[in-house]
Amino acid sequence: MSAVIQAPGRYGSGQSVRRIEDPALVAGRGQFTDDMSLPGQTHMVFLRSPYAHARILSVDAAAAKAMPGVVAVFSGADLVQAGVNPLSQPLPFPRPDGKPGATAMRRVLAHEVVRYVGEAVVAVVAETRIAAINAAEAVMVDYEELPCVVDAVQAMSGGAPALCPEAPDNIACEMRHGDAAAVTQAFAKAAHKVSVDIVNQRLAPSPMEPRVVLAYPESGTKRIVVQLSSQMPTAVRDGVSGSLNMDPGQIRVRVSDVGGGFGMKTGCYPEDVMAAFAARSLKRPVKWCSQRLEEFQASTHGRDIVSHAEMALDANGKVLGMRVRSVANVGAYASVTGVIIQLLVGPWVTTSVYDIQAIDLHLTAVMTNTMPLGAYRGAGRPEAIYTMERLMDAAAREMKLDPSELRRRNLIRPGQMPYTNPMQQVYDVGNFEKIMDQALALGDWKGFDARLADSKKRSKLRGRGVSTFLEWTSGNVFTEQVTVHVLPEGYIEIVSATQAMGQGIATSYAQLAVDVFGVPLDRIRIIQGDTDRANGFGSAGSRSLFVGGGAVKVASENTIEHAKKLAAQSLEASAADIEYRQGRFSVAGTDMAIGLFELAAGQADERITVEASATAGAPSWPNACHVCEVEVDPETGNVAIVAYASVNDIGNVVSPTIVRGQVDGGAVQGIGQALSERVVYDRDSGQLLTASFMDYAIPHVDIFRGFKTQFDTSIPCTTNVLGAKGVGELGTIGATPTVVTAVIDALARAGLGRDAEKLQMPLAAEQLWRALAKREFPPAPLG
Amino acid sequence: MTKLKMTVNGQQVENDVEPASLLVEFLRGPLGLTGTHVGCDTAQCGACTVLLDGQPVKSCSILALQAQGRSVGTVEGLAAKGQVHALQEAFMATHGLQCGFCTPGMIMAAAGLLARNPKPTEEQIVYALEGNLCRCTGYVNIVAAVQQAASAMAGKQGGAA
Repeated sequence: MSAVIQAPGRYGSGQSVRRIEDPALVAGRGQFTDDMSLPGQTHMVFLRSPYAHARILSVDAAAAKAMPGVVAVFSGADLVQAGVNPLSQPLPFPRPDGKPGATAMRRVLAHEVVRYVGEAVVAVVAETRIAAINAAEAVMVDYEELPCVVDAVQAMSGGAPALCPEAPDNIACEMRHGDAAAVTQAFAKAAHKVSVDIVNQRLAPSPMEPRVVLAYPESGTKRIVVQLSSQMPTAVRDGVSGSLNMDPGQIRVRVSDVGGGFGMKTGCYPEDVMAAFAARSLKRPVKWCSQRLEEFQASTHGRDIVSHAEMALDANGKVLGMRVRSVANVGAYASVTGVIIQLLVGPWVTTSVYDIQAIDLHLTAVMTNTMPLGAYRGAGRPEAIYTMERLMDAAAREMKLDPSELRRRNLIRPGQMPYTNPMQQVYDVGNFEKIMDQALALGDWKGFDARLADSKKRSKLRGRGVSTFLEWTSGNVFTEQVTVHVLPEGYIEIVSATQAMGQGIATSYAQLAVDVFGVPLDRIRIIQGDTDRANGFGSAGSRSLFVGGGAVKVASENTIEHAKKLAAQSLEASAADIEYRQGRFSVAGTDMAIGLFELAAGQADERITVEASATAGAPSWPNACHVCEVEVDPETGNVAIVAYASVNDIGNVVSPTIVRGQVDGGAVQGIGQALSERVVYDRDSGQLLTASFMDYAIPHVDIFRGFKTQFDTSIPCTTNVLGAKGVGELGTIGATPTVVTAVIDALARAGLGRDAEKLQMPLAAEQLWRALAKREFPPAPLG
Repeated sequence: MTKLKMTVNGQQVENDVEPASLLVEFLRGPLGLTGTHVGCDTAQCGACTVLLDGQPVKSCSILALQAQGRSVGTVEGLAAKGQVHALQEAFMATHGLQCGFCTPGMIMAAAGLLARNPKPTEEQIVYALEGNLCRCTGYVNIVAAVQQAASAMAGKQGGAA
């Protein structure tokens, strides 16, 4: 195996390389879960609740079971009888009355009561998908409709229908953070006080690949294999095994190509358990492919929190304190993830890049007859940062200051690092003013007036927005383990429990391995998505590169050190004399040498295997400054983004092309929240009104294409071996407030003044037109 | 079952199909051409875009039998004799894809555009891709990829002439 090893320099970290994922994907040779089929495979479809809230009186599946091709029909009662456990876990926060956090038990199939439109009630398994669909229509479910509530503020007010007896007021749990007395004092001595009312609307994450599960009995064992599209294979393994009373080792979760995740494919879904249960019961492969309708109805939603936020400032614009009262709609079943995002993760970054120590946060998680909430790109940080940036803008307008100047007066200085914020989160490094100054220059902040005049000539309302912010990353899971196998075929296999979902993590890992091994990129193979080979938290919270990549680096280095000893034996030399370079070990000062892969071939098991882990000391704190300009057409209320600049501090960069794609693609998702996306349930019936891409408006290709995006790599993270900071969610977090504040600025300049701050996302044309033409504004959500 | 004959990626195929079978189901199922994806159920996302007699169509929205006697092109047929197509090359070169789920539909919609308009303006590219959704990239590099492919194809033709 003495293949000529070419210089790897162009493929190591810091270099723009072509992604190793791409050749298969552009040729149509990707392997998404729905691309796989097995002999004897059955098809599963779900009959879902047509009601937002109802009692299930009876399920009659006799006619369905008698239909041609039908293999089995399962109801919630069947699963209860079979001992299938609910998916709900105890909540980590108490209720206002001091009792433990409360939620109705989320079951794999609804039992006795349905609590949202789209909740799975019956699973039908048939020989073909058409047969399953037809049979599902023949299942008779008798419901007694109950009153429903879809609005969180309404749900916690007296008289609303209760979703579970443990929470008559529908409050799942709540948290207070900070020092209320200190904030009261801050407001008492403030020279300026501002407040904003905020709707951070519900979003559908909408990865383009719908969820798919293919569960099957493993041949020759009693194990069940669950092949699916997920960001967290181990969580699915543990969720499925826990629900089905099986040892985790009896479930093998496999994940191949994932067509986008964005947080929505984290954790274990009821459909995952149902497919595994059916495969175990029927001893046959069972496949479920979600329709897009089901994705909107029954895949976790994001955001959905309303706030009244206040800020106190001194005469110079220094923030003295802030107070936020928030109500989060966590859907029909409060999950640990759903409540932590709003009650803890968001608060961690409430004060963002600003030196503010007095905070008073009161956050309530409320259940309603809607799809449960989960993670969506940013998960808590976009909500907190949006609130902060809106407050900063309101204060700047109140004080007639340039919004960048007010921010500058409050930024944490480099000399204050490491900085502990009032939520006891420690920022290791950051130079936020330097980042802001670069972004203001990149976006030509100073030259705005000339462009404003030009827009005016064309009868357009121009506005500008600036956001400075940071975010917390890691999921607070700081250790990753990696196994390296050097194979005699000439490949280095790297096995990780983090999960690719389209972000290109395999390429970035391969680049890190190239740094250490000095072999070409195509010698590296990244193995993920198999709980028989690696287990861990998975990919979420922008952690895969700086936590998992750190482990790739360490494991690769350990592999070289270990292999040096093997080479010393092979070459009958002292290990101290062995040098390694580009796939070859040599004895210093001699011509004795052996190739890395040749060495692997010579081992007893014909490979060199090294396991190692790395631990990041803390979350990384990526930060950025975004600057945006918009033009509003006063005749229609339509918004056009006309300029966008951002400077991003994500520490050391491994794959420049990939991180740019993350920031710009992420920004477009943030723009979607600002301008067009919103999940709507009918207030009276609880029906989901935005259940297709016709009604739920994700950005199309015409959204915007002029991003000026730069990275400042001069401030590496100090708490992980790569010096990297997470990048996956940064663009999304920054874009939403930047676009919204730009639109508000445009309308404020057009004569609406501070009334423009009453606008709420999404800033669709009709709302802007009403504001401009009729001075009509949405009501404040918290009264 | 009805007998269906058509050309797929230059090959004659003949199969019995259910009359209600959609073209995308026929391609992905019996023909095993799983590069054509299904991302929605309302003809919005365009992941299933293929060429029907050279025109991009959403294969979730036509019956397999509507392609009777006609010619269908999918992403699997783009690379002629193993040579990567200029669009495939450009999507890789410009980082025009992330998860890759929308990519075959994007590429086929772009292939249809370039076949009828080899030198499209940026506006024409945007118009042609309006019916294809991508959630990862923000579209910037997708448009860049189509521009790059158009240039590459024009250069090639110029060289041959």
